[in-house]
Amino acid sequence: MYKNVHEYLEELKKELEGCDPALIQDALSDAEGHLRTALEEEHASKPGLSETVALKPIIQKYGTPSEIASAYRAIESHITPVLAAARPKDTRSFWARFFGVLAEARAWGAFSYMLLALFTGVLFGGWALLGGLVSACSLLFIIGLPIFGLFLLSIRGIALLEGRIVEALLGIRMPRRPLFLDKNLGWTDKFKALVTDAYSWRALLYAVLLFPLGLIYYGVFGLLFVLSLIFITSPLFELVFHIPLDLFGDNVFTPVWFLPVVCIAGFFLLPLTFHFAKFVGRVHGGFAKSILVRK
Amino acid sequence: MNSGIASLVLLSVLGQADEPMYGYQIAKFIETHDEKIPMMKQGALYPVLRSLESSGLLESFVNPSVSGPPRRYYKITDIGQETLNHWIEIWEHTKDFVDNILKGKTDV
Repeated sequence: MYKNVHEYLEELKKELEGCDPALIQDALSDAEGHLRTALEEEHASKPGLSETVALKPIIQKYGTPSEIASAYRAIESHITPVLAAARPKDTRSFWARFFGVLAEARAWGAFSYMLLALFTGVLFGGWALLGGLVSACSLLFIIGLPIFGLFLLSIRGIALLEGRIVEALLGIRMPRRPLFLDKNLGWTDKFKALVTDAYSWRALLYAVLLFPLGLIYYGVFGLLFVLSLIFITSPLFELVFHIPLDLFGDNVFTPVWFLPVVCIAGFFLLPLTFHFAKFVGRVHGGFAKSILVRK
Repeated sequence: MNSGIASLVLLSVLGQADEPMYGYQIAKFIETHDEKIPMMKQGALYPVLRSLESSGLLESFVNPSVSGPPRRYYKITDIGQETLNHWIEIWEHTKDFVDNILKGKTDV
């Protein structure tokens, strides 16, 4: 018998021990949403009923923590993020693997993430810095408290959205459900819960860090990609269209004997860029997971 | 009810719904058709919903709720509707086959 929803969720958390933290967060969020909605309905039809009594039939229908944990484990065992699906051992030769990266969805996903990072970094990081500053200043006035609370809520929303982008493009399992605040809490307690929850601050830190990271990712990978294309197409542009290489404002024609070398270098630089994107994507995904998934 | 049948039931409920539905609403709808012996715990529907969403058969969005935590609404996608039609055909065929066996209509 569970006294309240919180106790049920604690038990469910224990039953899910060892699972992916993002799955645990989703399962808790699903359970909390369902149980609180059912409780709300029960209280509306039978006012004055204690939470413990009202919960009993609700949990009977919903399932015990152990039943629910088994259901999540069973389903999760055959669902993996689209780009993280297990692949058989790669038996291709070194060169096939080196150039084959250009046909890998995961490499394109990571590369797209690096380019998209300019947009997400500026948007999320900009909001974290600017919104944080404005709402922190507003704390000087009494109206500042709700503004700061709303700001922290928006940051948690951004963290969820960024998690979805990370999962879709980098193939790292991230939370798919938002974190709830206990609706029975008053406004002051909700604000306290938001401010004292380490997750709010970790999400804020992530959003701030995404600003410089987004600029770096976009700059490095955009440059490498464009350079590869310029190198590959240099014989075509210089010999056929007579368009020189524009190197930092200086128009330079590459010596004809050197053009094949430049072109071949481009053909190597392109897959190297994608291998590098995959590597950085993996590191960034691990970093995002360590910060954006509640422990 | 195994997760395959649960998937068919959930797709079918959402395929017939005029508007997107949230998890609790779906569970209550199923409950009204399954009053005597519940075939499945309500909580076990959520991972199936998640599975259908990650397969692209459903899509979802979160809306705030006046009375409780924000709710995740699900709606069937075009691929989901096509898949549902296909699954219904398979289900009808399987049902006829099993019925025939149970009634002894098939030659052994």
